[in-house]
Amino acid sequence: MHASWLWFSLLVLLFWGTLGIVQKVTTNIISAESALIWSVIGFLVLQPLLYGGPSPLHYTSHALAWALLNGVFNGLGAWTLMAAMSAGGKASLVMPITAMYPLLVVLVAPAIFHESITRLQAAGVACAMISVILISSDASHGHSQP
Amino acid sequence: MTTLKQKWFWYSIASAFCWAGFAITARFGSTELPANMMQFVAAFGFLAFGLVLFAARGFRLELNRRGALYGTIAGMLLGAGGLALYAAYRGGANTAVVTTATSLYPMFTVVLAVAFLHERITFRQSIGMVFAVAAIVILSF
Repeated sequence: MHASWLWFSLLVLLFWGTLGIVQKVTTNIISAESALIWSVIGFLVLQPLLYGGPSPLHYTSHALAWALLNGVFNGLGAWTLMAAMSAGGKASLVMPITAMYPLLVVLVAPAIFHESITRLQAAGVACAMISVILISSDASHGHSQP
Repeated sequence: MTTLKQKWFWYSIASAFCWAGFAITARFGSTELPANMMQFVAAFGFLAFGLVLFAARGFRLELNRRGALYGTIAGMLLGAGGLALYAAYRGGANTAVVTTATSLYPMFTVVLAVAFLHERITFRQSIGMVFAVAAIVILSF
């Protein structure tokens, strides 16, 4: 339980959990597109704090390409998420549905990362699918902007 | 109107696919790049997407002060979370474990949404949330 990945994962929960609220408040004020552009500015504010150690050119072009592509997916994910909120989706519904992406990762992980899926993980996938159905089934009732 | 006919639902599904791509590329990149360098380089990809969106809008940007402030804070939170995620991927656990553990964040969002945005969730949705937590916990084993 003291593995470093776990502590870093908890930090992710803290930052991205709060992020959902901030994104919802932002898209109540401005459009998803403008919100994304302002987010790019916020993202870049962190840049001076991150640059240290060897130059990016020290690493392979493969790794750098993955990192760049990662940034593009980040932008696409953030934009579509804020567009969902801007289109009237509640933060408490949009966030759980978008957070079902591990399903896709678990499904492709055996092929891409040569990681196997256990029966237990299959049960987890089933639970996740049920949760998406339950969470979205009532969304049309009492659907409102906060 | 059913949920399936609502725009926000399909944007959410599209977002889930994008985040899956994000997780996979994060795992690939962070096997070699340390977290800070991963975040540093990824920011340029994020910037490129932002510029495309900016150009598609005819270089128009809403300058509402509160919207700009919250949007900027959102970007900082997104970046800080990404930095922690890359570090988690480099921590040695397999992709499925880290991805599912870090996807718990909506539970935190829901608590904050109910507390601060006064959003309400139905009983059925609450059960759905329990299933989501169960799924994430099971997948993490």
